[in-house]
Amino acid sequence: MSTPSHAVRLARVREAAPFALPLLVFLLVLYGMLAWTVYTSLSDWQGTAPNYTFAGLKWYRFMVGLDRFWVDLDNNLRWLVLGVVPTTVLALCVAYLLEIGAVRGIEAYLRTLVLYPAAMSFVVTGTIWSWMYQADRGVLNTLLRAAGLERLTSGYTTDPATATYWLILIFVWQYLGLAVLILQASFRSVELQEMVESATLDGASRLRILIAVLIPNIRGGILVVVSLLLISALKVFDIVYVVTFGGPGYATDVLALFQFIATYQQHLVALGSGLAVVIFALAFIIIIPYTIYALQRWFE
Amino acid sequence: MRLRLTPLRALVLVMVAALSVVYILPVYVMMVTSLKTPLEITQRQYLLPSGNLQFGNFATALRLVFPSLVNSSVISLTVTALSVFVGGLGGYFLARFRWPVTKVLFVLLAIALYLPYQAVLIPLVRLMATTRLALTHFGLILSYLILNVPLAAILMATFFFSVPRELEESAQVDGASRLQIFFRIVSVVALPGYASTAILVFIQVWNEFLLALTLVTPYTTTIQVKLNDIKGSYVALYNLQMAAALITVLVPLTFFLFLGKYFIRGILAGALKG
Repeated sequence: MSTPSHAVRLARVREAAPFALPLLVFLLVLYGMLAWTVYTSLSDWQGTAPNYTFAGLKWYRFMVGLDRFWVDLDNNLRWLVLGVVPTTVLALCVAYLLEIGAVRGIEAYLRTLVLYPAAMSFVVTGTIWSWMYQADRGVLNTLLRAAGLERLTSGYTTDPATATYWLILIFVWQYLGLAVLILQASFRSVELQEMVESATLDGASRLRILIAVLIPNIRGGILVVVSLLLISALKVFDIVYVVTFGGPGYATDVLALFQFIATYQQHLVALGSGLAVVIFALAFIIIIPYTIYALQRWFE
Repeated sequence: MRLRLTPLRALVLVMVAALSVVYILPVYVMMVTSLKTPLEITQRQYLLPSGNLQFGNFATALRLVFPSLVNSSVISLTVTALSVFVGGLGGYFLARFRWPVTKVLFVLLAIALYLPYQAVLIPLVRLMATTRLALTHFGLILSYLILNVPLAAILMATFFFSVPRELEESAQVDGASRLQIFFRIVSVVALPGYASTAILVFIQVWNEFLLALTLVTPYTTTIQVKLNDIKGSYVALYNLQMAAALITVLVPLTFFLFLGKYFIRGILAGALKG
């Protein structure tokens, strides 16, 4: 075996070029813009006209001096934990119960039922849930009053102490179906089915099978679900913008909303770019394990 | 075997009942509210459909959203067609040319796949504004294209993997070029994959809000931005808000209900392979 000659290699590259080039051009533009954002965050651009004078970390220093930045980070952290952990656990329960106890028709019904919000935009769900949550005449409070549960009524997204949690609940509602779908698919490998079968023959309880056999063997599926949820929770913008616009006060503000407001309403473009870089850096950390996993699967 | 009510079955039934309430109530409320009079809303009559169904709400809402419905359709369809085309070519490269450099490309794509739009928002908007593309549909079309080509490429690559190589080898022996093989054989066999990718990209673009909001002009307002406007302008008219929301969601929901198989395959292809 010898390495392919120069001419053969050239022919292969020529063969691949029409397939790879358009994709490369788009990727180049995308990463070029990413670099541009990073540079802008180090510039002194404030106001509507661009100003690319290098200002070093000036606006990053400004950023970490802002209370709002820390409130946002705190809120984003809430989103990351409460948007991801309950959704994954709940999805695991639903997927497993469907796997072991469902009649065929019920499975198809339930899958459609929890998955349809995946086709809806956050603007639509935000509009609907604003109406559900509306404190004075809204659906939930009206229902609770009708059921005689007056003391369970709440201000929902108008109460600064709990507003973020009610927003996160919308997110959980919307993403549960996707998580169930992916986890269910990862249950379905032949080897795993055989392992479950032999564990059942050994007399293991269903709960034990879930914990000892299924969960350790669907780490890949769980990793995918968790990464997907983490990224979506990190870049959450639409729900907050539509339902509360960060209010009351800054109570529900998140990095993505501040990024938008800083850039397009306060015209602190360097600051907005810095916030964008922070969001990107967090996203980058989240997708590293996922990328390694995907790379192994693709090139195994 | 007869169905008996085992504890497990009871648990499943409880779960199904609970999820049914949680997932049907919002949509039911949306539908019922969209057909009510403002008076009924102030009187808190939500759960029963009114005797006097106000289909006029939909006429009013449709009048408000119609131009943006057209904008969103033009933008989403164009982006879908173009990104599936470019993504198809790129996906074939990923699936069939397994060079060391393909790995690098794959990593770059995986990052791009989950790139928060904020990371490129400022340059993108600047670019579209200075070239004046933002004043036409091309601004949003080009922006969405750049952002969705990575997704389309990864998805198409996973579908091309399952096309048997033998199909291509026999054509190669007959002297067909790679491009001919790609368009006449591989793409035809992978048509269901194209359908999945197209549906996913279409729904993503149709539902996008941040970029549409930032690049908004009176000529290119998309349906999501318009719905948000309606929500902000007609604060107390929940009937109108819900009618507009229902119109907004009709297109992607129709895709989901009638082409759900392709939608699900697309999600799984993206999730488990890519």
